[in-house]
Amino acid sequence: MPTTTAPLPLPERFPADSIQLREGLDQPTWIVRREILVDLARELTADPETGFDLLLDLCGVDYPDREERFEVVYHLASLRGGGRLRLKVPVPEDDPVLPSLIDVWKGADWFEREVYDMFGLHFEGHPNLRRILTHEAFQGHPLRKDYDPARRWILTEDKMYRPQPEPPMDAEDDMFERMTINIGPSHPAMHGTFRVVATLDGEIISASEVEIGYLHRCFEKMAETHTWQQVIPYTDRLNYCSSFINNVGYCRAVETLLNVEVPPRAVWARTILSEFSRVMDHCVCNGSSLVDSGALTNFWYLFQPREEIYGLLEACSGARLTVSYCRIGGLAADLPPDFEARCRALLETIPAFIDDVEKLIVSNRIWLDRAVGIAAIGGEEAVNWGWTGPCLRASGVDYDVRRDNPYDLYDTVDWDVPVFHGGDVHDRFRVRISEIRESLKIIRQLLDRGMPEGPFIVDDPHVALPPKEVAYNQMEAMIYHFKLIMDGIQVPPGEIYSAVEGANGELGFYVLSDGSGKPYRIKVRPPCFPIFSTFSRLINGGTISDAVVSLGGLNVIAGELER
Amino acid sequence: MSSRGAHPRHPAPYRYTIVERLYLPLLSGLWVTLRHFVRNFFGRGKTYTINYPEERRLYSPRYRGHHILTTRPDGSLRCVACFLCAAACPAECIHIEAGEHPDLNIEKYPLLYNIDMLRCVFCGYCVDACPEEAIIMSNNHDMAYFNRGQSVVTKDELQKPYAYDESRLGYRPHYPEEQAQHAALRHGLVDLVEEARRQGADSASRTAS
Amino acid sequence: MIGESWVTTTFEKLEEWGRNNSFWPLPFGTACCAIEFMSVVSSHYDMARFGYEVVRFSPRQSDVMIVAGTITDKMAPVMKKIYDQMPDPKWVVSMGACACSGGFYRAYHVMQGIDELIPVDVYVPGCPPSPEGLMYGILQLKEKIERDTKKRRKREKAKRADDDGSVAAA
Repeated sequence: MPTTTAPLPLPERFPADSIQLREGLDQPTWIVRREILVDLARELTADPETGFDLLLDLCGVDYPDREERFEVVYHLASLRGGGRLRLKVPVPEDDPVLPSLIDVWKGADWFEREVYDMFGLHFEGHPNLRRILTHEAFQGHPLRKDYDPARRWILTEDKMYRPQPEPPMDAEDDMFERMTINIGPSHPAMHGTFRVVATLDGEIISASEVEIGYLHRCFEKMAETHTWQQVIPYTDRLNYCSSFINNVGYCRAVETLLNVEVPPRAVWARTILSEFSRVMDHCVCNGSSLVDSGALTNFWYLFQPREEIYGLLEACSGARLTVSYCRIGGLAADLPPDFEARCRALLETIPAFIDDVEKLIVSNRIWLDRAVGIAAIGGEEAVNWGWTGPCLRASGVDYDVRRDNPYDLYDTVDWDVPVFHGGDVHDRFRVRISEIRESLKIIRQLLDRGMPEGPFIVDDPHVALPPKEVAYNQMEAMIYHFKLIMDGIQVPPGEIYSAVEGANGELGFYVLSDGSGKPYRIKVRPPCFPIFSTFSRLINGGTISDAVVSLGGLNVIAGELER
Repeated sequence: MSSRGAHPRHPAPYRYTIVERLYLPLLSGLWVTLRHFVRNFFGRGKTYTINYPEERRLYSPRYRGHHILTTRPDGSLRCVACFLCAAACPAECIHIEAGEHPDLNIEKYPLLYNIDMLRCVFCGYCVDACPEEAIIMSNNHDMAYFNRGQSVVTKDELQKPYAYDESRLGYRPHYPEEQAQHAALRHGLVDLVEEARRQGADSASRTAS
Repeated sequence: MIGESWVTTTFEKLEEWGRNNSFWPLPFGTACCAIEFMSVVSSHYDMARFGYEVVRFSPRQSDVMIVAGTITDKMAPVMKKIYDQMPDPKWVVSMGACACSGGFYRAYHVMQGIDELIPVDVYVPGCPPSPEGLMYGILQLKEKIERDTKKRRKREKAKRADDDGSVAAA
């Protein structure tokens, strides 16, 4: 990822010792005293041209040995100016309080709750600071370094949280009785694991509360207890509809830390397979959101190409869904000999299915009546909530990591970023359909260019396992093999935030290494986390059936949302 | 990145065209489903369904299924109990106990080699880690257990059921020329189902004769 | 006595035959395995061929619960409640490593196997299992039910014979 072009001017009106500048590996880093945080945030967002309008990520880090034990890290981006900035705020253990930034970026809401849940830091001014990912009977803060990774707390039914979005009204206040209903977590419309409690006024949702955490699988704690290479299977299970993109995102972050050059053959394959994964993810999202609105036929038509892409991924990696095909420094195995032929066959077959679905849906008035204007949000507000990806592009903001911070081969191919302006379910659907076509365009160009010859993984015995034939026959290679398996890759100390365009938006990995064989901290910037935090705002004022359709259109994947 | 205009403040919803107002595009949609129906009804279309368990999908030779412990020509296990697979396993599902081998050239052999199949996530890291090509994965994915005791498979079960039929081997460290036959077979992607069906018919006729 | 007449036993056999060939599954899908479950019910692997296509999201109407995906401690009471709501007889298929044993999530928020809370009839390993793997598991469940029925009938018959014998002896 390119660093920011110009050094940021330091705001002058703050005391000199309150901000320290550091030049990071990837982006400038400011260490900020917590007293000036809110003022600084307002200053940073003020400029309409280069202001940091997007709060990408907010996470905590625990350093038990430091005087000020915790550090809260903010990643900011400016969509218009193109700048990136990292703010670090040290927080001592005996006074774990810092100001909430919810007034500046609304998207900070859930992120701050997550930091409270995981580290026990209090955000002053946050209206609803309670646990978000773990359950109500949970004690302690799991991402602190002194928390045992396997210590569980049992939740019983009587302790379950019962949200009350709006206090029940007295009959004198209101002619009609209001009703509170609970949807989920096990409900077909909630895609498995989300829970929405809505207060209904007639058929209109007047207030709602969203509860998540039913699939919190502790990815970040698990990553701290495994070697760098062993984290790759865990990343598969973040966004399980397009697991290959997660692999690429994680491996790219670690490769940048290691300063490893990935061979061109692997880069080529990564780009192609990422795009196929994106097609697959959009197929699943559009298919299941159409099922929610009653258009079941499209589900069959869209699942057909997906099944074919599974075949391709399985031929490469050996598994259909959770591929684990990337390794740090390249790929797990060479591409199969018929890779190009299979890709071409897919390029032939997929468009027919997409055309069918388009004919069935896009100008079908029954669908239009269900989708146009539903869950609409303007671009400016969406950015303030932290949206990225197809949903943001449906709101008219032209931002795509693949084009604006190009990685792999995206800057060498010719393609467009589809942007629509409706900001509603219909335009999210259209963005995804257009993106499928753009992805196929990228793949076609790369295939025409031809598969680069050469190795599929970097030839560095400190990073990649030596080829099996060599390991069997040479003593030195065998020793490297043993060392790499037993101790893992030794990543030099440092930190990096590296992002790829996931199927739902900017998928960032903030990786911290302390030089031991295991990651010190990995924070995933899940694209659907800020998107889903807006859900309550999107459905209020609509009907229940609109809420169901709008959830399908957002493509929230629980594995990624709750990690 | 060039600086762009301000973000749109309000959404601009899609406006229906006259044709859409009149529900006319529904006809093209109905035509799509009708076409599919007629084609499939008269057997002209492609039926995708795989009639499991009689027919099976043709998985690639890399498929990561049930593990196999390979043997030497004399029938003993190739495993030398070096614990690399257990160290590489992210699920920590491999349990090995090593014993001294009577043959001095071979240092150790596994007294116990258990894999907890319910813990295993089939990531293939054990195969990558093995320095002896002693553990590979098969194409077999028909597994189900009635209790947890059954699910811990021992070294006898891991080596027994497979007679090293080349077509049933799955993920393994390197692929000898990747089998030209497989490449030819898997060329037409959509024909996988047909191919599986044909192979099923072949084997059925073989068993019949 | 109507309890053991030819009519009722034949009717019972018919009922068992029907039940074995038309499970109504309740997919309790939470994570990756739910995506593979979708593959099983869609056109490539069509579960309807076995008569199991009536996927019910209401526990009151289903007899096989397919737990697909990680069950966290937060989800556990929900799963228990849904299991309790299912009418007898009921069976549970645990699909995938996470539901079976927690998989590689030996973590602070993940249940180490759903058998901590509810009884499981068939465990299907894999992460996620291939669609064939799940169908194999469900066919195994069918065989298991048939086997159990036979055993139960044999036991009842033996018990009846025993009772008759004791009556005769008296």
